[in-house]
Amino acid sequence: MTATIEATDSPGGPDPDSAAPVAGWSARLSSLGLSAAAVVAAFVLGGVLLALAGANPFQAYADMLSGTFGSRFNISLVLVETAPLLLIGLGLAVAFRARVWNIGAEGQLLMGALAGGAFALYVPIGTRAVLIPAACVVGALAGGAWGWVVGFLRARWSVNEVISSLLLNYVALRILEYTIRKPLRDPVGFQPVSETLPDAARLPDIPGLKTHIGLLIGLGLIPVVAYVMRRTPFGFHTRMMGLNRDATEAAGVRTGRLITAVMVVSGAFAGLAGILQVMGPESRLTGNISPGFGFTAIIVALVARTRPIGVLLAAVLIGALTLGGDVIQRTQQVPRVLTIVIQALFVLLILVADKVGRRSR
Amino acid sequence: MSIGADRPAPGHGPGTPDPAPLVAMRGITKTFGSVTAVAGADFDLRSGEIHALLGENGAGKTTLMNLLYGLEQPDGGTILIDGDPVSFRSAHDAIEAGIGMVHQHFQLVPRLSVAENVILGAGEGRRVRLPDLAEVAAAIEDLGQRYGLGVSATSLVGDLSVGEQQRVEILRALYRGARILILDEPTATLSPVEIDHLIEQLRAMAGTGTAIVMITHHLDEVMTAADRITVLRSGANVATVPAAATSPLELARLMVGREVTMLSEVGEAGEAGSRTGPASAGPAVLTLEDLSSKSAAGTGGEHPRDFFNLSLEVRASEIVTIAGVEGNGQAELEAVLCGLSRPASGKIRLGSTDVTGATPRQLLDAGVGMIPADRYRRGLIRGLSVAENLVYDRIDKAPYGRRLWIDPKAVAARGADLVSRFSIAVRTPSTSASTLSGGNAQKVVLARALGTDLQLLIAAQPTRGLDVGAIEFVWNQISEQRDSGVAVLLITTDLNEVTALSDRCFVIYRGQLVETPLDREAIGLAMGGAGSRAERAPAR
Repeated sequence: MTATIEATDSPGGPDPDSAAPVAGWSARLSSLGLSAAAVVAAFVLGGVLLALAGANPFQAYADMLSGTFGSRFNISLVLVETAPLLLIGLGLAVAFRARVWNIGAEGQLLMGALAGGAFALYVPIGTRAVLIPAACVVGALAGGAWGWVVGFLRARWSVNEVISSLLLNYVALRILEYTIRKPLRDPVGFQPVSETLPDAARLPDIPGLKTHIGLLIGLGLIPVVAYVMRRTPFGFHTRMMGLNRDATEAAGVRTGRLITAVMVVSGAFAGLAGILQVMGPESRLTGNISPGFGFTAIIVALVARTRPIGVLLAAVLIGALTLGGDVIQRTQQVPRVLTIVIQALFVLLILVADKVGRRSR
Repeated sequence: MSIGADRPAPGHGPGTPDPAPLVAMRGITKTFGSVTAVAGADFDLRSGEIHALLGENGAGKTTLMNLLYGLEQPDGGTILIDGDPVSFRSAHDAIEAGIGMVHQHFQLVPRLSVAENVILGAGEGRRVRLPDLAEVAAAIEDLGQRYGLGVSATSLVGDLSVGEQQRVEILRALYRGARILILDEPTATLSPVEIDHLIEQLRAMAGTGTAIVMITHHLDEVMTAADRITVLRSGANVATVPAAATSPLELARLMVGREVTMLSEVGEAGEAGSRTGPASAGPAVLTLEDLSSKSAAGTGGEHPRDFFNLSLEVRASEIVTIAGVEGNGQAELEAVLCGLSRPASGKIRLGSTDVTGATPRQLLDAGVGMIPADRYRRGLIRGLSVAENLVYDRIDKAPYGRRLWIDPKAVAARGADLVSRFSIAVRTPSTSASTLSGGNAQKVVLARALGTDLQLLIAAQPTRGLDVGAIEFVWNQISEQRDSGVAVLLITTDLNEVTALSDRCFVIYRGQLVETPLDREAIGLAMGGAGSRAERAPAR
């Protein structure tokens, strides 16, 4: 968030990010080295905190490692966390590249989950190969529509997208809560949740893992996003606008439209992540489909410096940290907040390393 | 103010020897990197006088005063106040010594009241408690009454007009005990009526012994307001003359003069441009009819950025210049002509097509080339490569791209072609544009605009900040366009550029156009607004 706001302060400034294609390998390597140093520093600082909390930091980290990457099952669990972060992060990477600050991915995710979930529940399609893609499309469209509102307000009346997208999160959550309490409520259950999705709408697992195939969709979209950003007029204009909006406008690009398009794209990614959560781990619509994926993904996109492949790495890292936090909470009896603090340390130090790296160049 | 009309003599006419001045600056020099901003300037200021500091853009006026106000430290020379040498490390020291400065861009907090703004930063670090606001307000009202600077001390600064905000700035300086008041371009953002008020108030202050320096390049204001005038040129003072003993014509000569040296420079550049003259001009390409900008229409009041009722024709094969001092409406005109803002009223025609309110895309597609005044803001994207910069306005058009893909080979080829045609000094076209020097950056902007067939070129400040070689290159390119049949509208503040390139010349002053003969003196006078205010008076 901090980085977001600071970046908004200098919208016309050069973005070293996109100078990367012309920057040499040595610059890239040194920035990689800095990131690695940041990760090490975060582990050390986190260890101090763990020790202060009465845990054995070495044991805690060992538990964390085995609890996340120690077995195929644990890896599967990490990847389940990774999938939504990867998808939303990819969409946000596009938006942030354009310097369109979409803080509303959480709401876009929820709208995607709701629309896609309702579709999967009530549209009688029995074939999995039809129902799942169709529900994905519906979810992406709904998320995109929720993002469109933000883009439209921004383009038409210059409403700050940070505020509108943030507020629409709460609107989306209330709409979801209402629908699972009233129209979509499971008539026989006690909880305010929908009925379980039909089998045809349940995502299969990736062969050999306990991770739903939503992850593969995310992985498949990485090269697509990378290609679109580098090799299409849409991606080029998006990068242009992020680097210099005035020049982009003077060059004949209709920036209002482009902002709206970028919001729709990033909303669609979040919406897709939402419906995949419903058809994957959740299996029904509930009020807590997302433990804040839409917000965590902001961090993913920023840590990744809006690079598609970086989004994958950051999503795995943050997914593993989340799960690892749960693990040491159990094995070392450290409070949950501490694991959140350690996660935050990671992100903070990586962002600092990023800034330091840019300055020294 | 009864003192307004008959100027109170500061007590010493032009003949009397200069008494010990309040401020004496001797042999001041200041360089920034390789640029010499002030080169051995002398400046005297007496108490009770209004002293105008006159000069073209970049003559060193503001720098000289920043040195006096302690914002910058001189590289050489001495500053004496009351005969004692002083050396200010910061503006704080200068304020202690009784100097106040009102900058061109006000330094006020809009959401605080007038009184709060006045005490803001005053005596910082010494007080734990803020002074009593009611007392401050009373003091401000008192000062205001004494000098006719009426402003309600409790109103929010954000609610005040530009003129009132300026009074707050002046009151702040007076509240801090300034007996030397420096005003940087105080009339730049004021309407003519507000200017008259300001001058009255300044007279009242001078009448009580305050010494006032007024930085300006408006000749007519100098003539009505100042007791003495110092003209700066290229960082050195050319002359100090009593206002009563000079004329706008003489001042214009002193300011832009350099007849001998400059005319020869211009002559060369003019030859390089191989002028064909207006005789060969073709049919009208750009027609402006009664064009006014936006904020003018709504409020009915004048805003300095606006322009009013402009009518103009630019024909094929001619360069029409709009000359003028910055802040007279040309920036808004540029935005409107490039499709970035909509005009409030009037029509823009391209050939016979009405293009009023057309988007930049439509204008580009219609063959309008644009060289923006602020090249780093509107003409270049530093995070992209040089080649990308050269095609970014047509990246979705063949052969560079289609709707869904870009051909990097075509982009690179175009980049290489334009880099060599416009001799852009860069290792390869894939180098980042952030490495370009000013001249090469402008060549990229030119190459993108001129690399296709145009019917109209709008060039705003095309040589601002460039060195001599780059200037010549740009001038040549522009006149080549003209010679090949393009209609060129040149918006510039640079008199040399006007005389080197123009076939016809207009001067924009306070948002209005006056056609002037192609004569340095006439243009210089018109740029300073000499005479035009008198002509306009009946209209309002």
